[in-house]
Amino acid sequence: MDTASHLSVILDLSPTQWHLSSLPSNTHPLSVASFLSQLLAFLNSHVAIKHENSLAVFGALPGKSVMLYASTETGSESTELADSNTYLPFKLVDATVVERIMDELDALGDPEEEEPIALVGALTKSLCYINRVMSPSTSSAPGGGTSEDQTTLTDPRILILSVSPDLSTSYIPIMNSIFSAQKLKVTIDVCKVYGEDTVFLQQAAHLTGGSYIYLERRDALLQYLIMSNLPPPPLRLLLSVPTQDKIDFRAACFCHKNIIDVGFVCSVCLSIFCQPIPVCSTCRTKFPMKTLRRLNEAMPPGARNPAGTPSRATPAPTASGRGTPAPGGPGRGAPVPSGSGRGTPTPGGPGRGGSNGSSRPPGGSSITAGLANNLR
Amino acid sequence: MSSTKAAKGRDAKTPAEHVPHPLLPFLQSQSQNTLTRLYQRPSACLSIFRLLGPLERQLVMNLLWLESAIPSLTMAAWVTPEGKILYDSSLLVLSRLHIVTNLLNPATKQSPKLNLNTTFKTSFRQAITGGGTSGSFGVPAAKDDKHPSSGVEALDAFAVERWETILHYMVSSGTGQVLAKPSAGVLYLLQRSRLMATSHGSALQITSAGFQFLLHSPHDQLWQLLLQYLHMAEERQMDLVEVLSFLFMLSTMDLGRVRNCNVEYSAESLSDTQKAMLEDLRDYGLIWQRKASSRRFSPTRLSTTLTSSLPPLPTSASTGTGTQDQGFIVLETNYRLYAYTDNPLQTAVLNLFAALKYRFQNLVVGAVTRDSVRKALANGITADQIISYLAAHAHPQMRKNNPLIPVTVQDQIRLWELERNRLKSEEGYLYTAFASQADYEYVLNYAKQLGVVVWESPAKRCFFGSLEGHANIRGFIERRTGGGGGG
Repeated sequence: MDTASHLSVILDLSPTQWHLSSLPSNTHPLSVASFLSQLLAFLNSHVAIKHENSLAVFGALPGKSVMLYASTETGSESTELADSNTYLPFKLVDATVVERIMDELDALGDPEEEEPIALVGALTKSLCYINRVMSPSTSSAPGGGTSEDQTTLTDPRILILSVSPDLSTSYIPIMNSIFSAQKLKVTIDVCKVYGEDTVFLQQAAHLTGGSYIYLERRDALLQYLIMSNLPPPPLRLLLSVPTQDKIDFRAACFCHKNIIDVGFVCSVCLSIFCQPIPVCSTCRTKFPMKTLRRLNEAMPPGARNPAGTPSRATPAPTASGRGTPAPGGPGRGAPVPSGSGRGTPTPGGPGRGGSNGSSRPPGGSSITAGLANNLR
Repeated sequence: MSSTKAAKGRDAKTPAEHVPHPLLPFLQSQSQNTLTRLYQRPSACLSIFRLLGPLERQLVMNLLWLESAIPSLTMAAWVTPEGKILYDSSLLVLSRLHIVTNLLNPATKQSPKLNLNTTFKTSFRQAITGGGTSGSFGVPAAKDDKHPSSGVEALDAFAVERWETILHYMVSSGTGQVLAKPSAGVLYLLQRSRLMATSHGSALQITSAGFQFLLHSPHDQLWQLLLQYLHMAEERQMDLVEVLSFLFMLSTMDLGRVRNCNVEYSAESLSDTQKAMLEDLRDYGLIWQRKASSRRFSPTRLSTTLTSSLPPLPTSASTGTGTQDQGFIVLETNYRLYAYTDNPLQTAVLNLFAALKYRFQNLVVGAVTRDSVRKALANGITADQIISYLAAHAHPQMRKNNPLIPVTVQDQIRLWELERNRLKSEEGYLYTAFASQADYEYVLNYAKQLGVVVWESPAKRCFFGSLEGHANIRGFIERRTGGGGGG
């Protein structure tokens, strides 16, 4: 239990959102400056907990993500840091983080339009970092000066401090990051500092066993962070941390990147679409006409035309262009899509087609389903 | 102690297991006044904080930034049912250290409120945020161009040399070899801590406690000696707060973080007590000074790892490649033991419980035999200590085995220990010469009811009762026979 733990912190540094957050019209305005000072106290607390604890800080900026600090990389140029009143590691963390953030923010300049926040980039970088530090055998030569840092890392976790709203285009990469986090046994904690709840990060916290907190009293950021994000996972067996009672499991469709309530899942590759389509855009499986028609009729009226995309035109006409599915209805025979010539996967055998009229054809059909079940 | 430490290493996953740091009981025994004075220094707060258990640390953190006391019920609401016992004991430890104050409000008779000790809170906040004017993290000396500071390797070598001199002196004291003697201060400390003793005015001899000491990890050894030093400091009329805070200051100092060269600290700002300590600590290898009169000093790895679990002696000077922290012992099921080391100290420690056969450049071959283990047991080393030492220093190649130490060897070492314990002595009285079998059985029954019978023999009509039962049995017999009888 009393082992060193690793913490990667991802800071969402969107200038727009932080500006909105500091406006006095908020109930609890929080500016970047006061956010940073509370954050640094939190980072120092993590370092203070144990001598061997390691720390990495990543910044998600508009259009780019950067590593701001890593305890394994001693890249400090200034030797005059030593100070009789401050513990040197603390000072190193604070000085480096602040300096790098200022540099990055200055480098942003004043673009006309702010690019979307590169949260995914920061998340991926931190996962890569954890992976690298956890398996040091390949990179580090024995007898190097960093032998002190090569203690085995247990219980790595990532803390995301988010201010920006969900970016629906990043659904797939975020989901992929979550799966790699699960595989690496990394816990993802999320603290929503400003703005609405984010669906994707809620799922990230839930699926990796982390805690998700929505900051209600933003002046008490530090206390929130310490109570719910400081304890390493083994300690959370003894001291409970807040988790969500309600999780929004909605996903974004692969075609228009909209967050949808009801979607259509390719039975072959499990891609998600907001409407029935004849050919899966991911794995190129063709679906039978009849199924499409049935699904189109089954669609709830409100969901027919999500976000104003042309839904009417898609199903039948495009499909007929190249190799219409076999005219045999579902349930009779095995309607293998014809004329693909590209090694189309033809999943399911004829034995499964069966005589049951209601059973779905094996040649790739769509299922309207709550997507949560597929993702869990 | 070494066996509990080893158990901690193996079962690190179970959450309930945490061996409190040896210094904490000592701190708990100090007066509130002493502790409060100690808590005035941010570096001391940080170091003590790190010595606490994981749950205790989290509780301190939870309370640190609160301005007012919170009801203990509120805090307890965060604890899961499994953590209840551990939570209560953690709070107890914290309140014994006077870090948490458990305020009972007599006026409202409500549930007690938890708060941090005000001094501790202020200093620890200062430690986390930096700033202040305490200067408790050590004043760095100005760059000295005349004497460029030596590298970390030189410091490590110095620390290892000093430390191994002490241990080597201990281990070879019985063999009559003449070795480099540690300084008088160290010898006195060893004698005081009863790790070594003089018998009939002869030279210092290692005691059984000393043998056990040798098998501990360097971290435990270091703290054991420092604790002894603290006890001694009390007798020498040194200010305990000064002594402790200097040790804690050392533990927060920096070793080679910047540009791989050590930072030198100025001794100017130290108090007189602390200046006096410089000499003692130099003898133990905790700090390094160019000259005895130098006004600057550098902490070595021994001191900067005081509050962490990192190995205090990362690489032995003589083994070079750092095999020491990885382990070097291969033990086979046929009791053969191969130790990849050229370190005389390690060889000497192995010699405590193994019969060494050959010695090569980098390899020592020996065997664990009945005689060698019995010799160790006679010196006061226990079987568990031998096994845990073997486990702690097992070669990486051997770590692939499960269980780590061959079961045959493990069991045999334990059996050899049991062999020594076949006889058990107990004081008591033998009751014989009963007049009749009925008499005998009557008294025996009475004694059995009292539960004081140790041994009985109906054929010989006698039984053996323990010391505490004698008065009752004697009285019983006297009442029955009207004087006389057994005894």
